[in-house]
This record gives sequence, C-alpha cells and structure tokens, in this order.
Amino acid sequence: MTRILPITARNLRDSWRGLLAWALGLTAALALYLPLFPSFGSNGSLEEIIATLPPELVDALGYDQIGTGSGYAQATFFGLIGFALIVIATTAWGASAIGGAEESGRLELDLAHGIDRVTIVLENALAILVKLIVLGVVVGVVIGILNGPSELGLEASGIVAATAALTGLGALSATAALLAGAITGRRIAGVAAGAGIAVYGYALQAVANQSGDLTWVERLSPYSWAYSESPLESGFGWGIAAVWAVAIVFTGAAALALRSRDITG
Amino acid sequence: MTPAIELNDLRKQYGRRTALHGLTLSVTPGTVFGLIGPNGAGKTTTLRVLVDIIRPTSGTARVLGTDPRTGGAALRRRIGYVPGELRMEGRATGRRLLDFYASVSGPVRPGRIDQLAERLSCDLSRPVRTLSKGNKQKLGLIQAFMHEPPLLILDEPTSGLDPLIQREFLGLVHEARQNGQTVLLSSHVLSEIQQAADEVAVLSQGRIVAAGAVDELRLGAVRRIRAVLTDADTDAVRDALTPLSPATPPEVRAQDDRVIVHATIEGEIDPLVKALAHFHVAELLIEEPDLEESVLRLYGAASTDNSTPMGGE
Repeated sequence: MTRILPITARNLRDSWRGLLAWALGLTAALALYLPLFPSFGSNGSLEEIIATLPPELVDALGYDQIGTGSGYAQATFFGLIGFALIVIATTAWGASAIGGAEESGRLELDLAHGIDRVTIVLENALAILVKLIVLGVVVGVVIGILNGPSELGLEASGIVAATAALTGLGALSATAALLAGAITGRRIAGVAAGAGIAVYGYALQAVANQSGDLTWVERLSPYSWAYSESPLESGFGWGIAAVWAVAIVFTGAAALALRSRDITG
Repeated sequence: MTPAIELNDLRKQYGRRTALHGLTLSVTPGTVFGLIGPNGAGKTTTLRVLVDIIRPTSGTARVLGTDPRTGGAALRRRIGYVPGELRMEGRATGRRLLDFYASVSGPVRPGRIDQLAERLSCDLSRPVRTLSKGNKQKLGLIQAFMHEPPLLILDEPTSGLDPLIQREFLGLVHEARQNGQTVLLSSHVLSEIQQAADEVAVLSQGRIVAAGAVDELRLGAVRRIRAVLTDADTDAVRDALTPLSPATPPEVRAQDDRVIVHATIEGEIDPLVKALAHFHVAELLIEEPDLEESVLRLYGAASTDNSTPMGGE
C-alpha cells in the first residue's frame, strides 16, 4: 500500500497551518501597502518626500521609480516586505526539512525505513515548491484584485513574472537552507545559509545601485537577477530562470550531500 | 544457510576516536542474538551500520545477504529498527506516524497495529510530542514489529518501559522467533538478554570480548552479596568466608551487635550460603552487579580492583 510521494504528503500535512499563516501575512502586507498608492504615490506627493531623502538611500531601497504603479509595487512589496516574508518562510522550511529532522531524531527513524536519502531530499524539496506555488498564487491573485482599485495599472503578465521572481528568491533561500542542513545536519546552519544568501543578494544590489560604475556587481546578486529587468513591466527574463536554476542545482547538491555521509542526530 | 547478519572486521572511526575496533560476528537466521556491553561500548554504532545510518570506515557488513550500503530502501523494508535514542516530536498522532511508516515500509496486516497497541497499552490517538518517554518507546516498538520483517534490530528496546510492558515485549520477541524472524537485541541489562537471547556477544570499548551461547558465558556468575549477621564476631565470619573468594576477600565489619558483610562471589552460590548458615542471618541480599562490572571483571584486559562492592547499582 505504497502511497505516491508519502514524504511530500507528510510534509504538507504537517505544515499547512504555517502555510496558512504565511499566506495571511503576505495578503495583509499587500492589503496594507498597495491601496495607499493612489492617495500619495500617483499624485507625486510620495516623490516629493523621496526627493528630500539622500539619493544613496533612495537608490539602495530602489525607490527611484516609486511614482509609477509598478515601481511602487516593486519598491514596497516585491523588493522589500514580500521578499523578507518569503525568505523567512522558505528558510525555515528548508532548514527544518533535513537539518531540523536530523536534530530531532526523525531522520534516523525515517531512513531506517523504506526511504532512501535522495528521495527524502527531493520529496521535501517538492513539498517546499508546492508551498511556494501556493504563496505565489495567493500573491498574484491578491495583487490582481487590488490592481484596479489601487490604480497600479499592472499587466497580468507582469504580475506573473514578478511573482515568479519573488518565489524564485524564496526557492533559492529554501534550497540553500536545505543544502546546508544536508551537509551539516544542523538546523541553524540551514537558517544561516538561507538568510545569508538573501542578505548577500540584497546588499550587493544596494551597492550596485550606488553608481553606474558598480553595475557589474549586480551580476553577482541573485536579487538583481530576479528584479533588475523590472519583471512587473517587462515580464519574464533570463534572470528569473537563472535564480530557479541555481535553486535546482542546490537541491541536487543537497541530495548528493546527504547520500554520502553519516547521520549523527 | 546465509547468516542474517555477518560482520567482518568492521571498524568505525570518528576523527581520531575509534568506536569499533574490527568487529566480526555472525547471526544465525531465526535466532535471537543479544549484544550486551556497558554504555559507550559501540552497540549503537554497530546497529546503525546495519541500517546504513552510518557507514563503516573499513570492513564489511552483510544484512540478509546484502551490503546495507547498496541494499537501500528495499533492504530496510525487510528490517524493523528501534533506535537507541528514540525521540519523537510533532503534532501528528501516534496512529498517523505509524500509518506513514506503514505506507513506506509496509504492507502491514489489517488490525496488526491495533493489536500491538493493545498489547503494549499504547494510546495512538495522542500527539506524539505529548507522550511520555515510555509511551514513545512503545510506538518505537510498534513501528518496528508491525510489518513483521524478517529481521528486527532493536537498540535498548525496553528503556523507559515499566516491568509489565517489558514482559510483553519479551513475549513479542519470543513470537517473532517462532515466526522464523531473526532478532538482534542490544542491552546494557544482562537479565533482559538472558531471558530473550539464544546467543550473545559482549562488547567492551569497541571490541567483542566474549561470545557464545547465553548459558556458557560466565557473566551471570558474578554476584554481590550483602548480609547482616547477629550472634557472630567479625573474625569468625572473616575466617569462614575468605576461603570462598580468596582473590577478593569479603568486607566484614561490626556495627552495634551485628556483623555486616559485603562480598563479591564468582561461581556457585551454595558454599557461601552454607558458610553463612553457621551464623544467625538477619538479612541476606544477593544481586547481579551491573554489566560493566561483570565485563571488566571477567573479560577486561585490565581487571581493575573491585574494592567497591557497593559502588553503583
């Protein structure tokens, strides 16, 4: 009576409450930020405030385009609060999948049963992907609903592309956490890796935005890969695919890492 | 007949520390094999190698005829395993946990889980994180026994169980043996192995120091005695008892009008009882020393002095 993808199913069943909470959090963030755009984004009052800020800060935060609907959604949600929420959620998922399971003793019991090591990594990664897709759909739908009333003027293709970029960054943190957990067997190493790669990408693009001479730095930042082509306006680009590709590579590396070492608990 | 388990010069090194120094042993199918030894002797390391949780540094292991490194999930479906340090967390109930393992390692006969749960009086409806250590251990036993695998590998399976459930567990082992299943059982409690196992290997500091049929090992032959005598004087008691164990003379002291005797005796108990019978015996306690003491005493390379007969339990 072997069920299909039993580990993925268990992961989802054990974490649907958390997933619901993250979905509500993202919805709340969108509902808080986006409707403010007509009252002071599009009429230029926000740009006046921005103009009084040091230009370096404005560049670092990506607020230079904040007068447009897409620039506003990018600067407030995709580039900042949405990014932070997604990264926190996915880092936690990735870190607990292997590193956390090993620390709690569950991995030893799982692996003593009819489960092999590559499968346990891939099925957990699949569960994280499913949860990311759920959050992506929630984000896309909520933005779609708020788009009209908030006068953002976003294209559907732009929303889809930006959501793919956002969830791609989540997948990157999740798989970095998964990989570090698979190498070390420690949850904390996964948290450090997942959060670390997000902070690294964000910091690098902030530096790159400081000057035209530094734009080459962007190439080292996954955050820039995802967002520098302005997916809300121009749709899908290679950068988004690159982020997802690295996440896939990390997943494969995690499977290999777990396959080749002792489980210590 | 292919042995159920065959280890050949198995070594495991953790950095500079050596956990196993070349273990060689063979377990006949359909028997109960006991692995005993003090904590830290390498029992858990050995059992973890058998289910491919850890990999040996050198040497070979074959489990049900297959190398655990290459046997993969298919081999482990044929093994029931209770980890030495069983921990369970999470919101899921015991039943859901068991259903999950049944789905990956099954098939499990319908009704089998409930039958086991009833025998071990284990409540499956509670979330596992709320269970006591003993109840988690029961779940650990159920997940190992439920799919009736050809091989059971049980690492300290009775830890945390009350005596009644321990007896039920011994019943399960007995039935498994009758069904032709092989059981490898580790323990640091000698009496448990004596009740359950056909053959034993004694592990000490990563080496097998003795192996053979349970009755042939002299481990049970070491006993600790504490007696309280009245109407006696210390010299007479000492003269009567010292010839029985010249290597470790008994400790005899007077307290008020009584004489208190502590002794460690190897071999037959009868001469001692007869010797004590010359005096008026107010109290007599005969007990097994702990396994570590027995192993060190009988098989330890440096059989250190056993001048503390009351040390430890």
